[in-house]
Amino acid sequence: MTTTRFPRITLWRIIVAVIFAAGLYATYARFALGFKLATNLTDPQPWGLWVGLGTLCGVGLSAGGFAIAAAVYLLGFERYRPVLRTAVLVSFLGYMSVIVGMMYELGLPWRIWHPIVMWNRHSVLFEVSWCVMLYTTVLALEFSPSLIEKIPWAGFREFYLHWHHKLLIALVLAGTLLSSMHQSFLGALYLITKGKLDPLWYSPYLTTEFYLSAIPAGLAVTIMALYLCVRSLNVRLDLSVLSDVSRVIAPLLALWGLFRAVDLITHDATPYLFMWREETLSFWVEIGLFVLVPVVLLSRDKVRNNPQYLYWTCALVVMGFMANRLNVSITGLQASSGVYYVPKWTEFAATLAVLTAAVMAFRYAVIYLDILPKNPPRQRWMVANTAAEA
Amino acid sequence: METTRAILVDITKCIGCRSCEQACKEVHGFPMETEAKLSVTALTVIEERGDKFVRRMCMHCQDPACASACLVGALKKTAAGPVTYDASKCIGCRYCLVACPFNVPRYEWSKLVPYVKKCDMCAQRQAQGQPPACVEACPTGASIVGNRDEILEEAQRRIVTDSKYVKHIYGSEEAGGTSVFFISDVPFEKLGFVAAPKQPMPVLTANALGDGPTVILLGGALLSGLYWITQRRAEVALAEAQDKERS
Repeated sequence: MTTTRFPRITLWRIIVAVIFAAGLYATYARFALGFKLATNLTDPQPWGLWVGLGTLCGVGLSAGGFAIAAAVYLLGFERYRPVLRTAVLVSFLGYMSVIVGMMYELGLPWRIWHPIVMWNRHSVLFEVSWCVMLYTTVLALEFSPSLIEKIPWAGFREFYLHWHHKLLIALVLAGTLLSSMHQSFLGALYLITKGKLDPLWYSPYLTTEFYLSAIPAGLAVTIMALYLCVRSLNVRLDLSVLSDVSRVIAPLLALWGLFRAVDLITHDATPYLFMWREETLSFWVEIGLFVLVPVVLLSRDKVRNNPQYLYWTCALVVMGFMANRLNVSITGLQASSGVYYVPKWTEFAATLAVLTAAVMAFRYAVIYLDILPKNPPRQRWMVANTAAEA
Repeated sequence: METTRAILVDITKCIGCRSCEQACKEVHGFPMETEAKLSVTALTVIEERGDKFVRRMCMHCQDPACASACLVGALKKTAAGPVTYDASKCIGCRYCLVACPFNVPRYEWSKLVPYVKKCDMCAQRQAQGQPPACVEACPTGASIVGNRDEILEEAQRRIVTDSKYVKHIYGSEEAGGTSVFFISDVPFEKLGFVAAPKQPMPVLTANALGDGPTVILLGGALLSGLYWITQRRAEVALAEAQDKERS
């Protein structure tokens, strides 16, 4: 007789269960009760957490995939190759969660296909929607060998991998361009808010600023994901590659900071830098978390060469990045909107649930697919299994 | 474009009777209660500012931010003047609400199948030769409708001949020009009018969009070039290694 073993109850499993239960309710609230009860969105604040965190941060933090793919395939930085699949997987799951998030965010999500047939070439959002569609396809194709190589039919497998190999460079090239455009166009979405968006964030160069900030943030996420894999998924990885990747982050952050400084000064926004108001405070939190602290920390060998320090520094970069996107999409528009928007708990719950699902998908992919090389199994039950198989 | 229609609202003539509000609600079949702000059931409202009555409604921009923002082209500037909304195209992204410099469009937040609501200057009525319901209902002539050129001329005539008027026609340059104009004897900023940018809003995004093809071409060429160099270096390194082996 076989007994189905109930999964062991651990703290993490309880947390995940709570998140999914809350997410489930948020989903019910959004689709059965409507925006009014599921969110704190209003006419003056029509885009909230789901756009600011879900879409803007989701896409930005998924920039690691194209950056690493371009570095390895187009620029020949072979030393990043071991982390390539991880970076692409993180990006792919990031984009998938953005798309799932859009189902909550759109008022009429069953019409999400409309931009395929109804075109408005003057709309930034139209270009953004095409970038999402095309780049998600590219990411899926870039990632596909990890799945295909597990298929038992050798003929099909070889055929697919052969053609994939032939077309890979074209894919990476298209992916780099599409992803770059996508990151920039997300910034371009806010170009039309001139007069509404606070001078600390409005700039004709929002495109460049979004692009420049996405790359270091995406790399930081990749480092964090890799560190967690090594720590808890029994992955074998020379940790010096993390230090290598992190070497690029500080200069990119500094470049962004410099660009932002020049931009603010040339657009006469300097007086706003030192005013006693919420926007200015949020601005300095953003600059502190995203530029000042990480640049100082990442310039120290001690931080770069210690995976744990590096992990937490990358977490700061990610938080700083999120502060920037939320400032553009929420804080910076608050004054002109005249309402004080605080997301409802269901908005957090839905976003968190989608993110948790992505993290779990990542975990299972690393466990069951050849994303990263693994250490020989050590746990006793696994040893017993292999013995039984033999 | 001489058949393009426009509305002129003369704030000095408005007595706050709310006939325009009521007429608007009637033609749209909305509940008749008076509302303080624009809403999904109040596409025009009279706001009281001191002793003045200020009518709010869609400005029907000449080159509307909302129409340029809408990714599926649900919002359109028609040749006849009105900016119209095709609900069958809308996907509910609400970028039009974000984009509008006058904060006009409203969203049906409490509905499960929510659409955008905004004034369409009674486009259908106008197509049949009738004036917009609000204008027709105005008992004092505070709101008038006509061909845009003539309406602008009339507004100009009034502010020039009568010294009580502020020397500005709100809507003549805001957001690059609109099809709804306001004239007033009190400065517009005191009546809650936003200081909208003077250029047509779509210009702000047009440059970024125009850069797209250039970025693709230049970026594509640059990346291909870099890839070629990478390949070439790998080939040379391989050849050198083979040479060394042979010797």
